[in-house]
Amino acid sequence: MAAPLYTTASGLLFHAGKILILMVGLPARGKTHISRALERYLRWMGVKTQVVSLGDYRRKTLGGAQKLPPDYFTLGEKSPETMALRKLVSDGCEKHIWDFFEGGGQVVVYDANNGTQKSRQTLAEKFDKAGIHVIMLESICDNKEMIEMNIRNVKISSPDYSGWDLDKAVEDYYGRIRDREMSYETITETNWPFIRIFNVGEKIMVNNIRGYLQSRIVFFLMNIHNRFRMIYFARSGQSLIEHSYKADSDLSPAGWEYAERLKEFVSERRAKSLEQRGYNPNDRRLVIWTSTRRRAHHTAWPFLTLAQASSTPEPAASSQSTPTDRADQPKESASRRHVKVIEKPQMSEINPGVWDGLTPDQARRLYPEEWARFVKDPYAFRAPRAESYHDLSVRLEPILIELEREKEDLLIIGHSSVIRCLLSYLIGLPASEIPAIEIARGDLLEVVPTSYGVHSQAFHFWDGPGRRVVTGEGEVELGYLSHKDETNFYENYAEDTKGKKRVTTIDIASLSFGGEDYNLPHQTENL
Amino acid sequence: MGDQIRVHFPRVSSKDSLQAPGVMEDMHAPDGVVDDALLTDRAPPPVLFGAGGFMLKQFDESAASSRKGSQAPTPPRSVVGIGNKVAKPDYSEAKIVLAMVGLPARGKSYLGNKLMRYLKWLEYEVQVFNVGQLRRSRARQMALQSGITEDHTSKYFSHDNVEANRSRDKLAEDSLEMLIQWLKKGGNVGIHDATNSTRSRRAKIEARVAKEKGIYMIFLESVCNDPAVIAANVALKVSSGDPDYKDLPKEVAERDFIKRIKEYEAVYETITEPHLSYLRITDVGNEVTLSRINGYLQSRIAFYLMNLHVKPRSIFFSRHGESQFNVDGKIGGDSQLSERGFQYARALPELVRTHIGDAPLTVWTSTLRRTIQTAQYLPYPKLTWKSLDELDAGVCDGMTYEEIEQEYPEDFANRDEDKFNYRYRGGESYRDVVVRLEPVIMELERQENILIFGHQAILRCLYAYFHDLPQANLPYIKIPLHTVIKLTPKAYGCDEERYTLPIGAVDTHRPKPNIPQPEVPTTGTSAREYFGKHV
Repeated sequence: MAAPLYTTASGLLFHAGKILILMVGLPARGKTHISRALERYLRWMGVKTQVVSLGDYRRKTLGGAQKLPPDYFTLGEKSPETMALRKLVSDGCEKHIWDFFEGGGQVVVYDANNGTQKSRQTLAEKFDKAGIHVIMLESICDNKEMIEMNIRNVKISSPDYSGWDLDKAVEDYYGRIRDREMSYETITETNWPFIRIFNVGEKIMVNNIRGYLQSRIVFFLMNIHNRFRMIYFARSGQSLIEHSYKADSDLSPAGWEYAERLKEFVSERRAKSLEQRGYNPNDRRLVIWTSTRRRAHHTAWPFLTLAQASSTPEPAASSQSTPTDRADQPKESASRRHVKVIEKPQMSEINPGVWDGLTPDQARRLYPEEWARFVKDPYAFRAPRAESYHDLSVRLEPILIELEREKEDLLIIGHSSVIRCLLSYLIGLPASEIPAIEIARGDLLEVVPTSYGVHSQAFHFWDGPGRRVVTGEGEVELGYLSHKDETNFYENYAEDTKGKKRVTTIDIASLSFGGEDYNLPHQTENL
Repeated sequence: MGDQIRVHFPRVSSKDSLQAPGVMEDMHAPDGVVDDALLTDRAPPPVLFGAGGFMLKQFDESAASSRKGSQAPTPPRSVVGIGNKVAKPDYSEAKIVLAMVGLPARGKSYLGNKLMRYLKWLEYEVQVFNVGQLRRSRARQMALQSGITEDHTSKYFSHDNVEANRSRDKLAEDSLEMLIQWLKKGGNVGIHDATNSTRSRRAKIEARVAKEKGIYMIFLESVCNDPAVIAANVALKVSSGDPDYKDLPKEVAERDFIKRIKEYEAVYETITEPHLSYLRITDVGNEVTLSRINGYLQSRIAFYLMNLHVKPRSIFFSRHGESQFNVDGKIGGDSQLSERGFQYARALPELVRTHIGDAPLTVWTSTLRRTIQTAQYLPYPKLTWKSLDELDAGVCDGMTYEEIEQEYPEDFANRDEDKFNYRYRGGESYRDVVVRLEPVIMELERQENILIFGHQAILRCLYAYFHDLPQANLPYIKIPLHTVIKLTPKAYGCDEERYTLPIGAVDTHRPKPNIPQPEVPTTGTSAREYFGKHV
């Protein structure tokens, strides 16, 4: 989360007032995926946003499906007890929504089926009366594979089905959906603004949507998808002059070694992860994004020289690619079918301004007031002529959209400041924690987006100059040449202030080889 | 003042620079790289690897021989000097036919032109193929060659006029054909500007485009329900020199044009075809319908169109007042205003009040001191934007052009050869600046009266967007100091006025050596093209 350009006294942004987004759609149609993605993006823009999930709430208050009366999910007459239970759940959710709005929240995404016109109308009117803008967001999915995958990956791993046989559980779930399908009414009413999204972003229809925040939401929804893909992050290799932003120096000998090792490790690790999930790595392309800084795009160099069997001509860079220093690219273009490198100027590391090249000690002495403010709030503080993390987050916004949009496997070879921002967006960390995320050189971060967020692991693959080594007691010991890094403290601030604000869950520096999970997805479903 | 950034190192002899490994070691001295003796007061420390010092050169020479480089068969170029030219992004996969739909006087050309300017500014190849222009050009040609003047009054546009219908169909087909050929030759977005008001016409376009592989089709319908806006569009049409109405009195022309609209209304069918990919803009800025919009560029187009509005407003640009660095002839930096710069700042409130009156105004500045100081006396809400900071000259920051030329004569000449694409080492190119200004443009489109205090390169980029100036000329646009430029968006471009305050300032404009100064309008670009350039 990161980047409102300004704040307002009311806490509401973009003159948009309060917005209730009513999700509409059958089960297993990607509603939760869309809700969570939207929540993540809006929060990142600084909009106070909350997903209220009916399924989660039901499980929390009533327990799993086993504890529900048999007519809870079926069609037709329900017993008074069941009706009371269902009302209890929906009332509880509505109360949650009211509470959030009253507490200063701006956007609520109500993740429930809202499958009949009557129920939508009642709900919308209630909130509309209180001056809250209601938008319906219908998720339609006619892709059978997508539905089946959703059921298998997400739904039946919910506590409702613990201990069930896999195929039986799928069968049972289809049963639940079938009953819902009978009573489902797609949006035909035009008295409320609505967005209809097909197959999670494949197509989109928008009706009567006005306002800036709303148009941002539409733009975002046009760019999301839920196809399986892997995202990798790695730092660029060590450069000859680590501490100078301006010199834009090339990789050091250790940096070139690192680049070679990174290429090998990514190929190996990616193949393993894909095979585990039943994908053939040879069928998939790897897109690599780097900044326009030499240390970053030269770290990607070994990937371009991968000997590939294919002789098909290289596909042209896609339309969203940004300037490429083509004079600088290797010439054997025919063999690059599976790898594409794109340089993005927005991905340069945080600009240290006048602190470029200084040690923390020098900065403290020369700029005592600025230093005090920097230490107090390393996220928002901007050194003279420098960028703050906030500035960096704003600069990266178009990259986030492209990140959502990218369908191929992606490797981002970047700078620690940039990786921090992108990672915190994907994971949904608060802005204040961004500068403290540790990104060690020699670790490969593997991020797999899921319905509820992301699943991440860190793999340590390299030790050498430019990496910080953590000894047994958690003490950070400098690598044998890393006193050079110390001067690049603005970029590597968190690593220079050991233990200051360590995010333990992603303290990848202390992970053993093989990695460790963090931010495990929590399983829910929303019937 | 404390703005002396560059520190003069003693020049080194070639013998010294041969001791490259030693230099490398010094660079990596354990307790920091900046000699503490240089850090005596609050003056910003010297930039060790600035192009003005000797270390960058020495480093480049040493690095070339002391590193183990890439093992690749085609290793990357080694890095030397103060920058290099960067190639244009590859947009060759983007091929879109965007066909307008809408009755006459509904702002189709407005949307088409606006979109063209935006996409061209982002370096896409875009061209509008206006069927009306083709019709007028052909008629003019025919009139010149054979002396026959075709009747292009409303009769020509009647649905019952079989002959004219055939002729108009042919014109539309020819225009589309030209568009497709242009796309195949490297265009990215071709805008088919015609009424395309019936399902059958749209079906024909769709069928023709479907024959081409890799070309996508979007319809953009402009609907306008506001009678006042339509009346204004009609008035503009008949009074702005449309050759269709050249020799007619205004009232007659207007009557005929309204009749022409009626002819179209009789057969008009709004887009309801469920399989089409389309955007419908109702009363620009009020309502947008998107259907089946896929793809990256398409989504950007949609987002852009969603942000447009047509409320009357003006955008004011001004550079900061003359700065100390301007006086010294230095680029970049974060210096304060000079005495004359402060004079300008003090004179601004009155100038701005004269031209804006009581209308609401928001002031945007960069985060650099010289723009903030320039805006300091203005009594309007202010926002600072990091994205408005001056082009980062990287290693050359804080130097004069003469110094750069002296230190790096070849690189300096290279930059003049292709200034737009030249990226300073450790800094930015004009293209990089355009990329970072894109969100600013989006925000600017949404806002009403805005006054921007910016910098030379930044304002050149913004100005080029509003006037649709080509990239090659962009870095040479004249944006003098102590001058407020007022742009008023009109249907086909922007009107421009300049207010120069009689407060002296240095001229920081550097024309491109040895070539004539490109023509840059100073009176606006809002005149409509009636015949087109591509026929």
